Amino acid sequence: MSRKIIEIAGKRLTLSNLETDLYPSYGFTKAHILEYYRRISKFILPHLKDRALTLKRYPEGVEKEFFFEKRCPSHRPAWVPTARILRHGEEPMTVCLVNDLETLIWVANLASLELHVPLARAGSPETPDSMVFDLDPGDGADILDCTRVALILRDLLANMALTSYVKTSGKKGLHVYVPVNHKETTFEDTKGFSKAVAEIMQKSYPELVTSKMAKEYRKKKVFINWSQNDSSKTMICVYSMRAREKPVVSVPMEWKELEKLAEKADPERMQITHSEAISRTEAKGDLFQDVITKEQRLPHL
Amino acid sequence: MRTRDPISESKRASGKEEEPGSHGIWSGTISFSLVAIPVQLVKAVDTGRVSFRMLHNKDYSPLQRRMLCPEEDTIVPPEEIIRGYQTGPEKYIVVTDEELESVSPERSRTIEIIEFIDIKEVDSVYYDHPYYLVPSKGGERAYHLLVEVMRRTNKAGLAKFVLGEREYLVAVKSVEGALSLVTLHYSEEILPTEDIIPEEVKIEADEKRRIKEGINKMRADFDPEKYADLRRNKILALLKKKSREKVLVEAPEIEEVEGKGPADLIAALEESMRKVKSR
Amino acid sequence: MASGAIWKGEINFGNISVPVKLHTSIREERVMFHLLHKRDHVRLRQQMICAYDRQPVPADDQAKGFEVEEGKYVIVDPEELEETVPESSRVIEVHEFVSTGQISAVFLERVYNLEPDGRSKEYTALAKTLTEMAVQGVCTWTMRKRSYIGALHANGRLLRLSTLRYADEVVPAKALELERFSLSEKEIRIASDLINHLSGAFQPEKFKNEHQKKLQGLIDRKARGEKVVVLRPKRLKPTAPDKLLQALEASLKQVA
Repeated sequence: MSRKIIEIAGKRLTLSNLETDLYPSYGFTKAHILEYYRRISKFILPHLKDRALTLKRYPEGVEKEFFFEKRCPSHRPAWVPTARILRHGEEPMTVCLVNDLETLIWVANLASLELHVPLARAGSPETPDSMVFDLDPGDGADILDCTRVALILRDLLANMALTSYVKTSGKKGLHVYVPVNHKETTFEDTKGFSKAVAEIMQKSYPELVTSKMAKEYRKKKVFINWSQNDSSKTMICVYSMRAREKPVVSVPMEWKELEKLAEKADPERMQITHSEAISRTEAKGDLFQDVITKEQRLPHL
Repeated sequence: MRTRDPISESKRASGKEEEPGSHGIWSGTISFSLVAIPVQLVKAVDTGRVSFRMLHNKDYSPLQRRMLCPEEDTIVPPEEIIRGYQTGPEKYIVVTDEELESVSPERSRTIEIIEFIDIKEVDSVYYDHPYYLVPSKGGERAYHLLVEVMRRTNKAGLAKFVLGEREYLVAVKSVEGALSLVTLHYSEEILPTEDIIPEEVKIEADEKRRIKEGINKMRADFDPEKYADLRRNKILALLKKKSREKVLVEAPEIEEVEGKGPADLIAALEESMRKVKSR
Repeated sequence: MASGAIWKGEINFGNISVPVKLHTSIREERVMFHLLHKRDHVRLRQQMICAYDRQPVPADDQAKGFEVEEGKYVIVDPEELEETVPESSRVIEVHEFVSTGQISAVFLERVYNLEPDGRSKEYTALAKTLTEMAVQGVCTWTMRKRSYIGALHANGRLLRLSTLRYADEVVPAKALELERFSLSEKEIRIASDLINHLSGAFQPEKFKNEHQKKLQGLIDRKARGEKVVVLRPKRLKPTAPDKLLQALEASLKQVA
């Protein structure tokens, strides 16, 4: 299998197994994956910056075993940015920070197809930058149901003077982000707020929504997973690839797109693959940019 | 499971928490004479992927290590924990971090090479734990000079440095283009062997020849990849099999949020929902 | 005074067989401290607490889990782990002999001194032969439920067994991806001179754990109620890249 030594910003990196087909039923090799991440890098890097990366590695492809790593692998170039993370009462561990292109390519070369990051940055692990609503369809529900829920959620939040942003999970659901970017807002705040929102959504749309995690409540409904608002949880990073049959990507959508898709009832249109992810982003720019910069206060807490 | 490296262990044992987001195990300077090179210490040994988490077998919630005060039977938070040295039964002297660091102030952030020695002279019994030093910004050139010169002269640098309450004697060597640092045992820690070595005795020539022949039949080059950790492979296979069988358990949600939330918020949400529905 | 033997085994290869006893080679000495409660100086105990109900959990209620996905675990019970334990035997099987020096220090884990368990002559013959041929035997054995690889080597008439790390546990230097640098011959020459001037024989007895002594001194002073002055740790200023040659020359002047 081929090896290649490249240099990025003066840093040396050895790439390996470039011809390995990691999405065998589609035909997408490691080289293709590296190319995708290279092209999307300027959009994805700001969302990865200073966040403890959880790698999800598929060294033999999406159909075989994966393993996930929270610790930064010890076999790493000296230039990979890292941070020490301490969880109360647990072992401190060293995590990778994907703060530059060379580290992004190194991670992708490890076949970490999916990049998962926490809602808070490594330096302030108890302070989330956003509040998130993870919309997950149960058996019998689909992404179109999630779309309907997301649109209602958007309006509900807008009436509270909160602007929200939505992205596909790359699987069957949607993620609605409410940027906060305030150093005094903690996970306790975002979790409490999102739980209250989830409960009122369930109360008002009981056939469509549930706020409870247990499987028996989720049949044919969209589960609003408010418990993701926690320092120990991670979300798939926007623009990350997903390990599905096809190389789909978690991409941001415009609200007006969602409205049209809800009308047209075409769930396939929401499975966006790598090439479309690149072309849309190069055309529209980073639709999730404001999630990093917009400052909002959660009212009534 | 394998033991942790001594430097990380002594940091953890101090009971104090590091600043979140700090880099690496240790960073500082390595010096010889008037040359000082900024470096970072990184691990040379990876204890491997199979690390278990302890869970509560009733609800599969993860367990955490906490310090308990046996008298009050309560969990003690880190701000209330101090380091004490026992001087008598139930008698302790408290030593703060600053006092500890002040004991050897010049050594806490610098690895000062006191002298260079021939690598071959170091008996492997002295080796404790290996690490690598990597250059920090601005130190790359000086770092590589040291690597190259130690390689050419076949020397290692002997140094001491202090971390926490321990002082380490270390050897710094040039290995494949990098600086490796190995902590060493002090000579008073090496146990004598006179009692176990048998008396000098004459060995017949054909006894030696027999052994030599046996050895020569088995000559090879060292290839560590040939040897697999059988036990770990078995554990990994077991884990693979169990994950495939989907016998997964999940921890319950930690319901820190009690009740339904502040009344104001509920009221505002209900008002907002009314507006949404009326459109 | 040698410590007691921790294990007995038999070195085997070809038609050679040498029974041995394993002894540890190190005794670490350290001033131990305890963690105390600030308020009343009561010595603290470590406990495993359930993150959910915040209560201490006794050993019987603890299970071993392996995280396969975030928050999802595979439980492994003690019997299943027992089955992975290697068969115990007393054989230290030597598979090959490599030249001394081929096994890099990064692989070395722990050193055991070997004492002959009868058959002293064979023991001595093996030790002398290994020394003369400058080789080490790569071997495997199981001890206390673990499987090991190790290097059998001699130090004069003493046989030693060092445990080795497995290949995937060791970070190779090339994984660090350090850049190559072109250095001037002048820098290399001056630095080599400097190092040679700073060289000596390896005399480990010269090095004592001074920090330990100073720490004990601090503890004693505090116990007597004396005031302790806290000094700030010195941070050495790194040599700027363009001042490197200057620093080397100045250093050489100092020692030559």
